[in-house]
Amino acid sequence: MSAPSSAPLLVLRGAARTYGRGPLAVPALKPTDLVVDAGEYVAVMGPSGSGKSTLLHVLGLLDRPTAGEYLFEGRAVAALPDRDLAALRNRAIGFVFQRFHLLRDETAERNVALPLLYAGVRRPERRRRALGALEAVGLAGRAGHRPGELSGGEQQRVALARALVKRPRVLLADEPTGNLDSAAGARVLELVEAAVAAGAAVVLITHDPRVAARAPRRLGLVDGCLGPAAGPWPAVPAGPGAR
Amino acid sequence: MSSHWLPVAGEGLRRLRRWPLRTALSAVTSAVAIAVTVNVISLSQGLDEDIRRDVERFGLRTLDVEAASVVAPGTRVDPLTLADLDRIRARVADLDPEAVVPRRHAVGTRIPDGRRVQLVAAPPDYLGTLDVPLAAGRWLTAADAAGRDGPGPLACALDSQAAADLWPGLAPAACLGRPLEVRVAGRPLRLVVVGVLSDPLRYRVLFETFDSSRGARTLSSALLAFRNVYLPFEALDGAPLSGISVVARRAAQVEALRERLFDLWPPRAAGLAAFLEPGIGVFVRKDWMDALGGSTQTGVMVGNFVWIVIVLVAAILIATLGLVGIRERYDEIAVRRCEGARRRAVAWQITVEGTVTALLGGALGLPLGYLGAALLRALVDFPFRFEIRYALPATGVALALGLLGSVLPARRAARLDPARVLGRRIT
Ligand SMILES: Nc1ncnc2c1ncn2[C@@H]1O[C@H](COP(=O)(O)OP(=O)(O)OP(=O)(O)O)[C@@H](O)[C@H]1O
Ligand SMILES: [Mg+2]
Repeated sequence: MSAPSSAPLLVLRGAARTYGRGPLAVPALKPTDLVVDAGEYVAVMGPSGSGKSTLLHVLGLLDRPTAGEYLFEGRAVAALPDRDLAALRNRAIGFVFQRFHLLRDETAERNVALPLLYAGVRRPERRRRALGALEAVGLAGRAGHRPGELSGGEQQRVALARALVKRPRVLLADEPTGNLDSAAGARVLELVEAAVAAGAAVVLITHDPRVAARAPRRLGLVDGCLGPAAGPWPAVPAGPGAR
Repeated sequence: MSSHWLPVAGEGLRRLRRWPLRTALSAVTSAVAIAVTVNVISLSQGLDEDIRRDVERFGLRTLDVEAASVVAPGTRVDPLTLADLDRIRARVADLDPEAVVPRRHAVGTRIPDGRRVQLVAAPPDYLGTLDVPLAAGRWLTAADAAGRDGPGPLACALDSQAAADLWPGLAPAACLGRPLEVRVAGRPLRLVVVGVLSDPLRYRVLFETFDSSRGARTLSSALLAFRNVYLPFEALDGAPLSGISVVARRAAQVEALRERLFDLWPPRAAGLAAFLEPGIGVFVRKDWMDALGGSTQTGVMVGNFVWIVIVLVAAILIATLGLVGIRERYDEIAVRRCEGARRRAVAWQITVEGTVTALLGGALGLPLGYLGAALLRALVDFPFRFEIRYALPATGVALALGLLGSVLPARRAARLDPARVLGRRIT
């Protein structure tokens, strides 16, 4: 989890993402400036359709800004070929989605091992690390189960294990608690915060002010414009990532 | 990619283990294509071999001096004469040919029904210039020639095609002893059947197609019609010679003999085109047999065309099934991309899946092809030469099928925008 350079982890400089062009163009993300440092824990709130997922996809190198600049660890993303983007997603960026997005025909263990496979890690090592990651999310006993045999909360923890097994420098979470009840959601948030404690940066997207309140830095996104989030914030017990 | 192409291929194989219906259909498509391919190959191979063997019956060591009247009826040509026979014998004597065999042709009409009968008068050693077995009875002997002056009917032998024309539905053995009366040059001639030759052409249909495809009854039908009634050479005394065959003892002598005969009748046109020239010409049977054998190449080509079309159709079908499959797998593909798969790794996985499916289908297609060939052989008398060595080209075809059928699915998978899937804009 070493952030190698002195450069900030993520830097958006006037980065924007517009879908389509002409009269039908949708400016999902308007020119945005953002700096996220290594190990920082940021929550982003915003109404539906405000561009939260768009922002996250840009940050996660799944999408490129249509204008402006994005520097990942000081490197301009625009110039990187598919191979390098894939390698960064593979080793530096963890993803968690509202709908889990697990491979439904594969066991929890194989789901977790997936990024290691693309990293060229050998099989015994893949197994070992996947089981370790599952253990870390409290699912050591469910390694052989498929997603269909797991509850929503458990599935999300498998997804989290998959994101964390690569020891990412940044974890990008798109409403990770959106499909969970409060107990399961709290469990997931604890794990997210444990990752922060271990040194990963987190950008967490949520609708829920109580979830956002746990992050020391909170941003709001309205109509594609990113800014400081308006309060008031409900009181929450300070998590390990709070500063 | 280079370091982990193997585990990615493994991912593709794992998916196959679940063997969804779509995969099974792709495999079956491949199996059918392979079965057709090996059948077409084995059929054209078998035909080619059989036809070559048939054709070689007509004597690879034989040269024919022919008056080309069979090619251009109505054209006046100087006929061959007995004097020509002597000239040939003298010219080639030092080369010691195995035989110099004259023959006479005449067209007769059967009494009483007027049916046309093709008569060939040939000496006993004529049959030796061919390698055609008898279906029943015997060939003509010197004693038969002597019978010309006797009171009884004259012995004759028939090609099985002639026998079928004269007595439809009768087995060769049943024709033996049958009387046959024909009128030749105004004179009646009483004959009795002593032998029936078998048809030397197993695939006569094909030869006749070969002929009609050239728009004329050409040399092959003239020489390969085998619809003759054979008489002792002396029976058509007075009729001009229609041809003289010179049989070399060894194939190596053929060229020397050809040169000698060219001394007597210089070549008038190159190769088989000479047959279209009126007049007397020298032909080496091996030449036109090569040409005829070459015509089976047309059949092989048509066969190849058929299976290539089948394989292309199969590839399109497999590609379509594959595309449908990709449509259902957007989520999986997006997750893989998200977790670090390059576009190329995704394409590779899809290609492995498609290719292995096609190969598995191909493995199924070989026994299927064998069964198909056995069935067809039972239904029609065609020479399916199913050989295990076809497994190799079949594997190649299955491989090509898999690769071809994977191109579009792999492309679609590789081009998928994972952000759109993960943001649930498409599902
Ligand atoms: N591929 C696309 N083509 C066109 N418009 C798009 C595309 N993806 C997103 N949009 C539009 O961009 C805007 C932002 O979408 P985005 O998914 O980022 O919103 P969001 O904040 O994540 O919403 P939600 O909370 O509902 O997930 C929306 O208006 C959406 O319709
Ligand atoms: Mg969203």
